[in-house]
Amino acid sequence: MMPEPQFLCQLDEIEEGRSKGVAPNRRGRDRILLARRDGEVYGYVNTCPHYDRAPMAWKKDEFLNADGTRIMCASHGALFRIEDGVCEVGPCLGQVLRRVDVFIREGAVYGVNLPEEPKV
Amino acid sequence: MRIIGPDELVFGVDNVKACETFLVDYGLASVGNGRFTALDNTAITVREKSDPSLPAPLKTATMLRQTIWGVEDQATLDQIEAELSRDRAVAKAADGTLSCKDDSGFELAFRITRRTVLNLPAELINSPGAAPGRAVNAIGANEDAEAKPRTLSHIVYFLPNMDEAARFYTDRLGFVVTDKFTNTGPFLRPQANNDHHVLFMIQTPDYMQGLEHLAFHMQGPTELMLAGSRMVKKGYESFWGPGRHKFGSNWFWYFNCPLGTHFEYDADMDKHDGEWIERETALTKEASQMFLFENVEKWSPGGPPPDAK
Repeated sequence: MMPEPQFLCQLDEIEEGRSKGVAPNRRGRDRILLARRDGEVYGYVNTCPHYDRAPMAWKKDEFLNADGTRIMCASHGALFRIEDGVCEVGPCLGQVLRRVDVFIREGAVYGVNLPEEPKV
Repeated sequence: MRIIGPDELVFGVDNVKACETFLVDYGLASVGNGRFTALDNTAITVREKSDPSLPAPLKTATMLRQTIWGVEDQATLDQIEAELSRDRAVAKAADGTLSCKDDSGFELAFRITRRTVLNLPAELINSPGAAPGRAVNAIGANEDAEAKPRTLSHIVYFLPNMDEAARFYTDRLGFVVTDKFTNTGPFLRPQANNDHHVLFMIQTPDYMQGLEHLAFHMQGPTELMLAGSRMVKKGYESFWGPGRHKFGSNWFWYFNCPLGTHFEYDADMDKHDGEWIERETALTKEASQMFLFENVEKWSPGGPPPDAK
């Protein structure tokens, strides 16, 4: 059975060319990052493939490089394509961010294959 | 050779404004021309990555463009120039600063240090059995303490060949290995500094080469936690810590930043001299730290009022 889609945020909370962290875990750390580019919203698990527990933003909701064309891991500057999560330069070269399928319904963003929250 | 430690790190970044905000929030002072200083004038400099005044970048993601080492005197600069000129180009600027590459391709510079000598109190604690650290009625928990980084402590390179890389610093520049993680890399200190390390290396594939992190020394564990919790409150991403390392004994708290490296606050690092005998162990989670905590939301104890049924 498909799991229920999970509400992530309102679409208008993510400006074009910007990003947002959503689905906080019990400690308040965002498990998912959303990036909006050319009207599309892309979702990825907020962990850099380089380390096993590396949140990628440098500040709340700041996941992109300066011109908003790449997802940047602030740990070591790795750059990922927004459309498919492939790392083009950085410590995780050639590796891929884990995709989260998202869709938009009535102005809200939902995710359908969110990772399970690890047991605390 | 009387090398003291890192004097200044120069970055070529893609988001100058974000970096400037981060560096001020981290606790450095903006002194103009892209320079941000600790209390002793050691510094971070950020420029737009296309700035022609910057040394060429590595081909990797790192934004570090130059590591400037501070030395005690002109005699040391002369020694470095003579030694390194034997097998590489060493440029000399009008102010006497030397620049060249190390054996891994990192851009280096050497200059007479611009750091000032600090005269500041240590963290003062009261400990049973010892004389009180603070005067009677002097308060320890000062939420308004400035908690400013005092001095640039150390840097950590990702690089592909730790043994070759370390030999450049030990054989050519007189650094000493204080401890080593087998198959990962050595902790190094130069001759004019007895801190456990000013340079550490982590061996990686060549496409990862760059700056893993940098650290500034804080007054002590309390200021480290105060500064770190202020960063969390401002929305910055805590990466690792607070905790206390084993090698070096320093307290640590690492943050992500828009300079594409980790900025660490550290405090209370061990000091060593020539009598110290190097330790070596495999790098494991256990070996990496004595303990590790994570910032959580504030909480307070309490109960219902006495007349509640």
